[in-house]
Amino acid sequence: MVKLIGACLTVIACGSLGYTWARIYERRPQQLAALEIALQILETEIIYGATPLPEALSHVAAKCDWPMAGLFRYTAEELGKMKGITAGEAWERAIDRFSPDSALNNQDLLILRRFGVSLGASDREDQAKHLQLAKTQLKQASIQAESLSRKNSSVYKHLGFLGGLMLVLILY
Amino acid sequence: MAADIVDNRKCSKKRESTVCMLSRDILPILPVKIREIITELPGEVMEEIEEIRLRLGKPLMLGLTREDVMVTPQGQPTTIPEFGYAVTEQDVARAVHLVSGSSIYAFEEEIKNGFITVRGGHRVGLAGKVVVDKGRVKTIKCISGLNIRVAREVVGAADSIMPYLINPVTKEFHHTIIISPPRCGKTTLMRDIIRQLATGIPKLDFKGCAVGVVDERSEIAGCFNGVPQKDLGIRTDVLDGCPKAEGMMMLIRAMGPQVIATDEIGKTEDAGALEEALNAGIKVLTTAHGADREEIYQRPALKYIMEQAVFERLVILGRSRGVGTVEDIMDLKNGNSLVR
Repeated sequence: MVKLIGACLTVIACGSLGYTWARIYERRPQQLAALEIALQILETEIIYGATPLPEALSHVAAKCDWPMAGLFRYTAEELGKMKGITAGEAWERAIDRFSPDSALNNQDLLILRRFGVSLGASDREDQAKHLQLAKTQLKQASIQAESLSRKNSSVYKHLGFLGGLMLVLILY
Repeated sequence: MAADIVDNRKCSKKRESTVCMLSRDILPILPVKIREIITELPGEVMEEIEEIRLRLGKPLMLGLTREDVMVTPQGQPTTIPEFGYAVTEQDVARAVHLVSGSSIYAFEEEIKNGFITVRGGHRVGLAGKVVVDKGRVKTIKCISGLNIRVAREVVGAADSIMPYLINPVTKEFHHTIIISPPRCGKTTLMRDIIRQLATGIPKLDFKGCAVGVVDERSEIAGCFNGVPQKDLGIRTDVLDGCPKAEGMMMLIRAMGPQVIATDEIGKTEDAGALEEALNAGIKVLTTAHGADREEIYQRPALKYIMEQAVFERLVILGRSRGVGTVEDIMDLKNGNSLVR
C-alpha cells in the first residue's frame, strides 16, 4: 500500500517537474508578446502624447500585467529618485531587478538592453524608430519562442510524466 | 555619492533662501559630479548664483550678481581658467538628460526655442548644432552648452510702484508698460505686479481682479506641466507657451480677465490683439526691451503701439542701484514723471 502511494507521488512529482519546465517555455512567448504590446503603449505615450518619461512609464505599468509591469514601474522608480542617472541607466537597473521574475532568456534581455540606451534621449522621430526596431525584434523573438514552445512544452510535459512512470517501473 | 537634496519642508515659502531653492530645483538636474562641486561652494557664493554655465571642455562657470567666477573641482571659486573644473562630455550629456527628465521628445517645441523650463520655473538655455528644416529650426542636436538661469521670485518687488499703477479714485489698474535692458529684473517686477493685482492690495484698498497671463516663453509663471511654479496670486489664469496675439484673444473670449499681462510685446500682430483687449475694456500690462523711452520708439511695431497712446504708465528699470532699480515712472498721458 505504502509502495503504491510512493509510486503515485513519484509520478506526480516528475509530472509536475516536466509541467513546470513546459510552463517556462510557454510563458516566454506570452511575455514577449506582452512586452511588444507594452512598447506599443509606450510608443503611443511618447509619440502622440509627448508624455514625460517617468509618467509615461507609470502609465504603461498600470496598463500591463505582472511581471512586465515591473520593468516599467522599476524604471519609473529609479528615475523618480533623482539620483542623477539617465533613463538608459534606470532601464538597465530595472531589467536586472525584473529579469529573475520573467521567463525571458539573455537574448530577449539583450533586445531590451539595446533599446534602453536610446530611451528618452532623442526627439520623437528618433524614438519612434528605436521603438519600432525593438518591437520588430521582440516579435521575431516571440515567433521563435512560440515554435520552440510548441515543440518543447509537450515534450517536457510528457517527458516528466513518462519519466516518473519509468522510475516507478524500475523501482517497483 | 549623490549630494543630499534638502528636504522641501525645511524651505519656508516666505523667506526662501537661494541655497534652499538650489538644492530643491537646481541640484536634481545637475550631473552628480557637478552637484558635489556646487554643494561644496562657500555659502556667500551660493547665495549669489544667477547662472550655472556648462560648456563642453571649458571650466564650470557661475554667473553671480556682479561678476562671473569659475569653480575648481573642490568647489572653490577661482578666476584662473586652468584651475576650473573642466566640464566633460559626460557631464553635458547627463545634464541634458536630467534637465529634460529623460524625455527630450517631450520638449521638442521648447528645444526649438532654445530653452527648457524646469520645475521651479528656472530656465535652461541650450547651445549646440542646430538642425534646420525648410528654413526653420527643427531641433538642436549635439548639445554642447547649457546655461541654467535661476529664476528668482522677489515677493514685494512691486510694493513701491503699485500706488502709481492704480487709480486712487476708480481703483482701476492703468495700462502699463515696463521697459528695461536685459537682466534688470523686468520679469521679476512684472510677476510681482501680477501677484499683487490678482491677490488684492489691502493698503491701497484694491480688491484684486482676474488676471490673464499669456506666457509665451514660460518666463513669467515658469510653468512646469502647465502648472505655474511662481506665485502669481489667486485670480490668475496662465496660457503657457502660447503665442501672444492668439493667447490674448483666447483669454478675452474664454477667461474674462480684467487685466491681461504678457511680456516682450513688439510684433505687428500684437498691436491688433492689444486693440481688441482695449475694446473689451481690459487693462494691459506688458514689457519691452529698451533702455529708455526714445529707444523703444526706434522699433517700428513698438512705435506703432506707443503711438496709439494706449499706455498710461511707463516704468523704466535699470541697474543703477542694483538689479531692479526703478529709474522712473512716467504718466504717458501728459509725459510727466511721477517720481521725480
